[in-house]
Amino acid sequence: MDAISAAGIGKTYPKGVVALIDVSFKVEKGSVFCLLGRNGAGKTTLLRILATQLRPTTGKAEVLGFDVSTRTLPLREKIAVVPQEARPLMMLSAYDHIYYMCRIRGLGDSQAKARTQEIMTELELWEHKDKLTADLSGGLRQRVIIGMALIPKAELIFLDEPSIGLDPLGRRIIWQIIRKMTRVGVTVVLTTHYMDEAENLADKLLIIDKGRTVFFGTVDEAKAATGAEMKMILQKPGTTTLDREVIVPKSEQEIVETVQRGIREGKHVTFKPPTLEEAFIHFAGGSIEEET
Amino acid sequence: MKRRLSEAFYIGMLDILPLLRDPMILIMISLISFMPVIFIGLMASGTAIAVQSLIGAVVLTLFFGGIQVAQSSYFNKHWFRFQDIYVASPVRPVSYAMGLSISTIIGALPATLIAVAILVFIWPVSVLGIVMLVAVSLLLWASTVFLGFTLGSSLKDTRKANSIPQVLGFVLGFMPPVYYPLSVLPVWLQPIAMLSPTTHAAQLAKYYLGLIAIPEWQVIVGWTYLFGFLGLMVMLAKRWSKWVDP
Repeated sequence: MDAISAAGIGKTYPKGVVALIDVSFKVEKGSVFCLLGRNGAGKTTLLRILATQLRPTTGKAEVLGFDVSTRTLPLREKIAVVPQEARPLMMLSAYDHIYYMCRIRGLGDSQAKARTQEIMTELELWEHKDKLTADLSGGLRQRVIIGMALIPKAELIFLDEPSIGLDPLGRRIIWQIIRKMTRVGVTVVLTTHYMDEAENLADKLLIIDKGRTVFFGTVDEAKAATGAEMKMILQKPGTTTLDREVIVPKSEQEIVETVQRGIREGKHVTFKPPTLEEAFIHFAGGSIEEET
Repeated sequence: MKRRLSEAFYIGMLDILPLLRDPMILIMISLISFMPVIFIGLMASGTAIAVQSLIGAVVLTLFFGGIQVAQSSYFNKHWFRFQDIYVASPVRPVSYAMGLSISTIIGALPATLIAVAILVFIWPVSVLGIVMLVAVSLLLWASTVFLGFTLGSSLKDTRKANSIPQVLGFVLGFMPPVYYPLSVLPVWLQPIAMLSPTTHAAQLAKYYLGLIAIPEWQVIVGWTYLFGFLGLMVMLAKRWSKWVDP
């Protein structure tokens, strides 16, 4: 079953700014769907439409079987969101944020306390529970906001740049949580500027540029569609990167020969598969060329 | 209904908790509406003038609280982004608006209670007088909550979100004859002062507490004006306040 089905979604803001044009896609239940695009490409607009925070101008979208324009109330029972650049209240503790959000979501006192501890432990926030968020690092503050979204055990969660400002370990905690959620059938819609994050997590990608879909498919399909190929790097130990030789092998035979040559010449051979970043630049980079 | 009230209460708690955790801020906020009382008490002679200014303090503490909703809702929407979290959840807009307004009541409570206590101590007030004072103040507060919510949810400019509530607070709060008697204004200015709902609220409160005598028709005009202002603010909120962005 599809968790999201969007057909011809368009959005023009009241002052005439066109943010999305005819965007269509489907997202499978229990998968991670990643929205990529440059700043201002329309990712957040699309996410906000799907999360019922913004009305589309044209098209139709269903999330968990509910129309996002007309059946918002039952849909909102089943979703949660981490908005982009949300900030905690500086004079409250991390615990306050999650506990009171539990109460707002309808949990009783003892349930709220238990759920708060569960979430804070999972996010490695428990040791900071009594600190004011003003005294927490940017990454820990971001985890507090994520914690607020984890409260309801939603069927679908929207994460708008959730790992921004997190250190590599902090990001991996979020990745683990995302994977854990999908294992129990939760669908995750994620926007990010970190290509490694998308590469690690996404089952499907939608790349948007200037409001239009420029790619929809899997990470491997994105890489394949760009024509980007695996590279082999030969470099003598102790030399600079200027001395390295980059080869794009055209056949398995050429791969074997290159490895043998590396051994013969005493060079290290490194394999560099095509990256999502290369694919992203291929799809979204056109607009950079237009601008320059 | 119980669920909505609970949502509203805890949204209000989340909003007011920073103040409750640091009572110094609450005291400072209370002092703002008391400053004119202290000033008038020092400068003017006579208990009646002090009582007028105390009534003004009660009326305007709640009024300023209502106006404060503009900043709370603006920053919840554009800075903290909590409104986005609430929109994409079962929280209803009415719970959210009620929550923000509950927090202003809690914030205004200490100053209001102190003003009423001093009033009872220095002036022979009736129970009806106190009830009416609270009633007109709450009516005015409800109007400004709707006004504040409309402003906060529709404004997009951070500078305006900060300045407009303060300008409104000054023009409708400190300038009109709320802390001081209407009669001290020049006769030509009095009809202009009566355009402000705070003047009507203060006149009614002073009347019910036996400080001034006004004809029956002026009492009716006062209540009509306050209810009319509330109706207008409700209409404005229905038309302009935004929960889901257009």
